Amino acid sequence: MAANERDANSLGDFAVALRRNGLTIPEERREIMRDAVEKMQALLKVLDDPLAYEDEPAVLPRYDLGAKR
Amino acid sequence: MSSAPLPTLAEAGRKIAAGELSPVALTEAALARAEALQPKLDAFIEITAERARAAARWAEKEIAGGRRRGPLHGIPYGLKDIYDAAGLRTTAHSRLLLDNVASADAETTARLEAAGMILIGKLATHEFATGGPAFDLPFPPAHNPWNTAHFTGGSSSGSGAAVAAGILPLAMGSDTGGSIRLPAAYCGTVGLKPTYGRVSRRGVAPLCYSLDTTGPLTWTVEDAALSLQVLAGYDPRDPGSAEVAVPDYTAALRDGVKGLRVGYCRAFNADGEVGAEQAATLDRAAQTLAKLGAEVREVALPPNAQFQACARTISHSESFAIHAKDLQERPELYARVTRERLTLGAFVSARQYVQAQRLRRILTRKVDALFESCDVLLTAVIPGPAPVLEETDDGPWRRQLPLASVFNVTGHPAMAQPCGFAANGLPLSAQFVGRHFDEATLLRVGHAYEQEAGWISKRPALATL
Repeated sequence: MAANERDANSLGDFAVALRRNGLTIPEERREIMRDAVEKMQALLKVLDDPLAYEDEPAVLPRYDLGAKR
Repeated sequence: MSSAPLPTLAEAGRKIAAGELSPVALTEAALARAEALQPKLDAFIEITAERARAAARWAEKEIAGGRRRGPLHGIPYGLKDIYDAAGLRTTAHSRLLLDNVASADAETTARLEAAGMILIGKLATHEFATGGPAFDLPFPPAHNPWNTAHFTGGSSSGSGAAVAAGILPLAMGSDTGGSIRLPAAYCGTVGLKPTYGRVSRRGVAPLCYSLDTTGPLTWTVEDAALSLQVLAGYDPRDPGSAEVAVPDYTAALRDGVKGLRVGYCRAFNADGEVGAEQAATLDRAAQTLAKLGAEVREVALPPNAQFQACARTISHSESFAIHAKDLQERPELYARVTRERLTLGAFVSARQYVQAQRLRRILTRKVDALFESCDVLLTAVIPGPAPVLEETDDGPWRRQLPLASVFNVTGHPAMAQPCGFAANGLPLSAQFVGRHFDEATLLRVGHAYEQEAGWISKRPALATL
């Protein structure tokens, strides 16, 4: 099973994900939205490729730049 | 209506300094043109005539009294309606914010006001700077001045229309995935997305914290430089702001491109489904730069699909976090397209978001590596001329992989500017990209190309509107 298929919000759980997030979609738009989610997940498949431990996220706290409020 | 477009910032500044042009007369010309073209272009959400006239009188008095503040003093500008201006509504083109009156200026608004500029009005956008052109909102979408049946690009749609129509020499836009550069490209203007962190975002309605950038749309590259001079700088109250020195952006503007190294991302353009007309104009732009003495060679960017996986995962996640409560409690107030596109964020997992931010760092390093042997990159920003407005993609999932959001992912400064016209008379555009915080070289290359190519001499034929 691919990693994205295990994600709680994946395609198979379309209705569950909507309910969990408290969202509604008009009946006549449900298939179109479901198709959009499918296409999005297809594009995001590249994110399943494993990365090295040292590849850290781009967005990290920058205490020296702009973090002062 | 004045038959002539407003002069550029540089030209107006020179004339005002020489006493040949009055801020009051210039403001009246902008207001007259804005009012006359509004029924055709729908560029404005609100025209702030009374406020503009008062500011123009004050500017005129100051300048006459020998207190000219700088090159932008007494010149009109506009704000995309996600920027706060104290006392005015910031609607974000949405039913949700119809009564949202700003109590303070955005940092960028404050900087332009301090420079003595005259606010003419708040400009149309796509709802919350996302979604798409929508016909189920309280305000209509803007229309392209080159052909009003066509799309302006977005989301800084009114900004692109107002600058292209010669109503304003400067309009502020915001760019999360191309929203400055796309309307600039489709409307035939210059649009500069500065480096992430270069210009403050404080007081601008957020869409995606880690991708949002603010910047100017202008008619010329010189005007982009003059605008950035005022806008750039550290803002301690913007958590994304960077404390990096601001150079003189006009100092090297006329130094030409001789000896500069231009990396032409030709294969990447093909990956982006760029049409034949647009591809041919980019080839000619590369040839023009080579003729001017630049060293042009082809370079390879990583596959666009990787950039898009990052851009879409991050933007859908962050914008959904911002809008989740309203999507749950009053979804009917959004335009259909906005609601659907924002809802996609509910289907992105935490794992995907973190992976996207990790891949983002890798992609940024790869683009940085290109700058070891190049001073600027040249790529496409649009696949072809502006589509017909009524035929724009309004589904929840955008069909085409955009070329602009690549540099939101990496944070590099990028500028769209005209590079020709399609057979149907609509503008085509080139995108120049620079090193982080090196907008100066970007502007230098853009100015040299602009002067040689001469596209800025052609304006939309507004008399036929």
